[in-house]
Amino acid sequence: MPIDCEDQELLEGFLTESTELLEKLDDDLVTLEKSPADTDLLNCIFRSIHTVKGASSFLGFDLLVKVTHKTEDVLNRLRKGELSVNPEIMDVILEAVDLVKLLLSDIKGGEIQERDIDTAIGKLHPYLSEAAVPPPPPEPAFESSPNTPVAAASDAAEAPVTESPVVEPTTGTQSSIPAPAIAPSPVQKPAVAKAEELADNSTVRVDVKRLDDLMNQVGELVLERNRMVQLYSDFQRGIDPSGFSDEFGKLTKRLNFVTSELQMQVLKMRMIPVEKVFKKFPRIVRNLARELNKDVELLIYGEETELDRSVVDEIGDPLIHLIRNALDHGLEPPEERIAAGKPPKGTVVLSANHEGNQIVISIKDNGRGINPDKVARKAIEKGLVTEEQLSAMSAREILDLIFLPGFSTKDKTTDLSGRGVGMDVVRTNIRKLNGIIEIKNDVGQGSEFILRLPLTLAIIQSLLVEVEGEIYSIPLSAVIETIKVQQSVFHQLGGQEVLKLRDAVLPLVRLHRLFGCRGDSLGRDTCYVVVVGVAEKRVGLVVSRLMGQQEVAIKSLGSFLANLPGIAGSTILGDGSVALIVDPLTFVHCSDN
Amino acid sequence: MENALQIARESVIDELIQLVSFCLDHEEYGVDVLKVREIIRMLNITRVPNAPAYVDGVINLRGKVIPIVSLRKKFNLPEAENDKRTRIMVIESGSEMMGFIVDEVSEVIRISAGDIQPPPPVANGAIDVESMAGVVNQADRLLVLLDLEKMCSLDNSLHFDNAVN
Repeated sequence: MPIDCEDQELLEGFLTESTELLEKLDDDLVTLEKSPADTDLLNCIFRSIHTVKGASSFLGFDLLVKVTHKTEDVLNRLRKGELSVNPEIMDVILEAVDLVKLLLSDIKGGEIQERDIDTAIGKLHPYLSEAAVPPPPPEPAFESSPNTPVAAASDAAEAPVTESPVVEPTTGTQSSIPAPAIAPSPVQKPAVAKAEELADNSTVRVDVKRLDDLMNQVGELVLERNRMVQLYSDFQRGIDPSGFSDEFGKLTKRLNFVTSELQMQVLKMRMIPVEKVFKKFPRIVRNLARELNKDVELLIYGEETELDRSVVDEIGDPLIHLIRNALDHGLEPPEERIAAGKPPKGTVVLSANHEGNQIVISIKDNGRGINPDKVARKAIEKGLVTEEQLSAMSAREILDLIFLPGFSTKDKTTDLSGRGVGMDVVRTNIRKLNGIIEIKNDVGQGSEFILRLPLTLAIIQSLLVEVEGEIYSIPLSAVIETIKVQQSVFHQLGGQEVLKLRDAVLPLVRLHRLFGCRGDSLGRDTCYVVVVGVAEKRVGLVVSRLMGQQEVAIKSLGSFLANLPGIAGSTILGDGSVALIVDPLTFVHCSDN
Repeated sequence: MENALQIARESVIDELIQLVSFCLDHEEYGVDVLKVREIIRMLNITRVPNAPAYVDGVINLRGKVIPIVSLRKKFNLPEAENDKRTRIMVIESGSEMMGFIVDEVSEVIRISAGDIQPPPPVANGAIDVESMAGVVNQADRLLVLLDLEKMCSLDNSLHFDNAVN
């Protein structure tokens, strides 16, 4: 059934507000379960559900009204102390909230579908009928009247007439005008406060102060431009060429300063706190813990850490996966924990913080850790590695096996994990963001997954190199060191050119060969080797010349030239020409195979 | 939206269509003027390794990096030196742009939609039939109507993905 709503603006307002309320609700409900005595919180939850109910009844979304109405009744009983908070009640309430979300997303999609709401409502019922006094039906109707201002204030054309008896008093109050008197009702307040964290991704809210700062910097930029114009016209009139060079030098320095400030400001505007992703997790952890019959405490630190919105959008799924793994594979059931001399309640710590130019997110559990022997055995069973390969592997390399496609240590596939698609996808996603993932493992004491991500995807520090007259840019984050060498010291090892670097043997990749560059400067003896590394692996890239370090803005090559091997993107150099950005990951992998 | 326009255009057979005509190895071709974003002189092209042979590289078009295809190479025509008449035609398709190198851009001509005939079934190997949208037969001139947008479409890029691997 398509939605028939006359006032599109009103509908959008309703959707935005409800989405925000529900987002907050999940978190609040989980908190409530932990601290059942918090009446303020309970009231706040009640009001949120109530607001959604009021607005949806006004707009005539019957299904939504029915679900929220029953949920509200149960919450009301909790509020009055007739029921007390326990996990079973929370389960049904959370289920009802999920249903509300589903219904809302239907409305968002523009089609109302027939959904089975009776199951969820049926589960809510026992908590309503248990009481000696059945919930008085007129009460919710009365309760909904302070909510009318929301509707009245939003200046709707007509309140749709529905068959629900709940709505009628609402419509009644509206016509009798006392509504504006109660306009600043408590119902609306949390909604206004919550509007801060808009769920919508296409718009940005920027602190006015940041905007002012930006304006100041643009002012300075204009000033510098004027100086430049002035300088040029002076120069054209033929005034003192030596003075010109001095002045121009100063101008360059100032311009450099202003633009880097400007860059930082704009970057900051794109930053949002990682909390946006983190706040989903308490709910997920709670549900999982109940499903798995494990007692789990989730601790979250550093949710205020800011990172680029493009990164925030991409990081949710990998994190969910890692948290699921921590709960399912990592933490032991309570009995096993007690037997191992640990407290029965497992802990998962999710933390985020800045480290230089990176953001580091860690998921740490105090469970059983990863057993390398088990990993090795499974990898052989699944035919991912051979015995010989295995015997040559270090402990860390064995742990890295869990990132192979098709790997799983679970004997049985569950809902949650064990299908062997997980870690592979996690690593791919993190790599797409130019990030790396590391494992710290302490058998018997727990494991920790550490994600290191760049602050932004738009600008990187890079090393410019020349390969037979062509300029390439190598992300500095991957560069370990650079060496000037004579080609005569290169060795051949099984058809692979290598360089003895201190105690290690470094496989070499000749960039000009891989990229098919024409020219013969590399026929000469002296060349440079750029050592790039990802995690523990190192590869040396042979180039003709090093040109220096530069901050470059990444430009996409477009879909037509996407997925070129060895090329991650492009950038524009100071002289306006395009330089390609090398993807060090490919080389590290090439040398693997 | 664009499709709707196209259909609307096709339904009115007498409607005038404007074409940009250009030369390639002494033959005349045309593209719909609405698809052409701009025509620029040759710029410094950065070679892209491992790209298909007909991709000359990428250029910086006012801060955007766009791929450049040599139509001569694409159509297996003999290569020629760039001279002062060589131009890059920038075609817009969706949100992406792509440049095509042609020998010379001649003029904008108006034809009525009725003058466009379907491409002849002869596939002489030079031009791939897919990018041919039709043949314009008008008085004493004959020009091949190209659908360059199709050339930069996604399946094409997939094609070459396979070729690379």
